[in-house]
Amino acid sequence: MKEELTKIEEIIVNPTGIKISNIQELMETFFVKLKNRVDNYIGDYPTFIEPVYLEDNVKIGDDVLLGPNVYVGANSEIPDYVEISNTIIFDNVKIGENFKLENCIVAKNSSFNFKNLNLKNSVLIGVANLKNELQTIGF
Amino acid sequence: MSDKEEREISRIKEVESTNLARDDIRELVIETKKAVEKDNDLLANRVHRNFLDNNIKSFDIVGAIGAGKTALLEKIAEKLTPKFRMLVICGDITTRVDADRIEKYNAETIQINTGRECALNAYHIHQIIKNKDLQNYDVIFIENVGNLICPSEFVLGTDKRIIVVSITEGEWVVEKHPMLFKKSDIAVINKIDLKERLGTNVEKMIADAKKINPEIEVITTSAKTGENIDKLMELIGF
Repeated sequence: MKEELTKIEEIIVNPTGIKISNIQELMETFFVKLKNRVDNYIGDYPTFIEPVYLEDNVKIGDDVLLGPNVYVGANSEIPDYVEISNTIIFDNVKIGENFKLENCIVAKNSSFNFKNLNLKNSVLIGVANLKNELQTIGF
Repeated sequence: MSDKEEREISRIKEVESTNLARDDIRELVIETKKAVEKDNDLLANRVHRNFLDNNIKSFDIVGAIGAGKTALLEKIAEKLTPKFRMLVICGDITTRVDADRIEKYNAETIQINTGRECALNAYHIHQIIKNKDLQNYDVIFIENVGNLICPSEFVLGTDKRIIVVSITEGEWVVEKHPMLFKKSDIAVINKIDLKERLGTNVEKMIADAKKINPEIEVITTSAKTGENIDKLMELIGF
């Protein structure tokens, strides 16, 4: 599981070199190996469809649906009304309220400080305070 | 008051204000509720079509906590898995206790922890099957969250719905929950091995189920002793 995660992280730190087929294949392999770990989050009562793997110190808001196939890195924040499936979120990420992400990767230390986003098949990188500042790479 | 308590109070107020909607928004609340039910039905139809296209038999099992849904599924899995590829989707507020029990009988399991939601809906099931190659399964059971009220609002797209009650819930349990009996195909009255000791009027429970839904098949079982499990298997087509 960690092996694929490291490879995916290596690919997305160099966005210009992203090979779409590589990412999709690595994600599929990663999700097959993904285990369930949901007893360690900070927050109330989200809905989980396994497998969902939460690293330590993940904060989750209200009315959140995670899964299937979701990995959330350490210290990341998932606020209210978020829905995520088939997605990898690396460490120290903060996404906005009412985000819907399907088959996405969110790079380490990304921070999106706006509400309402519906995105599929994309890598999300960096810091964005408005939707039009968001950097994404489709795959 | 802590932030957490404050949030909880806000949530309760929000829910209550929706239930007691003001005159000016009541129509909107009703329309929204209808739209949610319609969307669920459309998605459930899609789920069912996917099951049928792959020749999968499918069942939604509903009932209160402790009625014996999981115990029955253990018996069913024990009988089916030597010959059939079985997937069980388990709904619970939290934990994967039920999924772990059923997995011991060689069925594949997927747990949904619904958190605050008191029933599974078609979207949950759709999210699972979009990632699955359905050709790998012959039969799918969905064990709903344990209660006799909320699941009546949401069909899941299965061939049949099985409602499980136990005689420990009392002989009035059927007449007190008409909606789920109306919307189920098979009623299982479980823990029949305790009949003598409890003195429950099982005949009344059977008559109530038939009165509420004349089409419903009613069977008494004991998941503990195995009584009538073979008859249940026949009822579900195995």
